[in-house]
Amino acid sequence: MLQRLYNQHSETLAFPFAATAEAGGFCLAHPLLSPPPRRRRRSLVTGATMVVAKKTKKTQESINNRLALVMKSGKYTLGYKTVLRSLRNNKGKLVLIANNCPPLRKSEIEYYAMLAKVGVHHFNGNNVDLGTACGKYFRVCCLSIIDPGDSDIIKSMPGDQ
Amino acid sequence: MVKFLKPGKAVIILQGRFAGRKAVIVRCFDEGTRDRPYGHCLVAGILKYPKKVIRKDSAKKTAKKSRVKAFLKVVNYSHIMPTRYTLDVDLKDAVTLDALQSRDKKVVACKETKARFEERFKTGKNRWFFTKLRF
Repeated sequence: MLQRLYNQHSETLAFPFAATAEAGGFCLAHPLLSPPPRRRRRSLVTGATMVVAKKTKKTQESINNRLALVMKSGKYTLGYKTVLRSLRNNKGKLVLIANNCPPLRKSEIEYYAMLAKVGVHHFNGNNVDLGTACGKYFRVCCLSIIDPGDSDIIKSMPGDQ
Repeated sequence: MVKFLKPGKAVIILQGRFAGRKAVIVRCFDEGTRDRPYGHCLVAGILKYPKKVIRKDSAKKTAKKSRVKAFLKVVNYSHIMPTRYTLDVDLKDAVTLDALQSRDKKVVACKETKARFEERFKTGKNRWFFTKLRF
C-alpha cells in the first residue's frame, strides 16, 4: 500500500512533504468550492546537486567505535520492524540506516523519525557493513539506539537529516 | 522522542478493507490490552469522501455532494501510517470502545462522527483530510 503512495521521481511519500498543506492563498466564495485546476508547469529537470560531505576515514572509524560501544553497553534494536516500533513508542533516540536500504523504506523511517523528532544517521556502508559494525554476522539494514550506555553517539552525531 | 500517535493525529490506514482511507485517532492503547497484546488505537475515518463542489452547483447539489460517510475501527499501529496533519474534532464522547460492541451502537456512533465530519468539512478547514488520497 505504501508503495502506491511513493513518488519515485521525487523520492518522497505522496502526502508528507507537500509544501502547501492547506489550500494556500485561495480566496473562495464558498468554502467547499475546490480550487481551480492548476496548470501543469513544465518542470525543469535539474541535476540533483546535493552536496554530501565526503566521509573521511576518521569519521567513519569514530562512528564504528561509538557503535561498538553502544553494542557493548547500551540498548538497541536491529531491523525495520523493531525500528518502527521503537519510534512509535518513543524509545528510540537515534536511527541508523544503511546506504542500500530500499528508498521506500528509507523514506518511511525518515518520516517516522521526523514526526518523533529523532535524528537519522545515514551510515556510510551497506547493510553488510552495518551488520559488521554492530558485531553481528548478519546484515542489518536499519537499527535504532534506545539507550546509548557509555557512548556519546547521540550527542556527537545528532543525525544528518 | 516526541509522542506522535496521539488523539487528533491524522493517519492513513494501510491494510484491510479501509486501506488508503484517511482517519483520525480517537483513542490510543499504547501498551495493548489482554485481547490485543499490541499497540493499537481506535480511529474514526472517512469511508466515502465528499465529492468536488464546483461553482455552478445548486444548493441542493452542493448539499448532496458534501456528504461524508464515516467508519470506526480498532486498528494495529503497524497497519497505520501517521502523517504530519492533525484533525482536532472532539469525538471522544461519541466514539467509545463499547460503541463497537454491537451493531446498532456502532451505527449511532458512525452517524455522530459523520455529522461532526460534515460540519468540519463545511467550514473549509482541514482540507487535506477530506480529499481522497490518489494512488
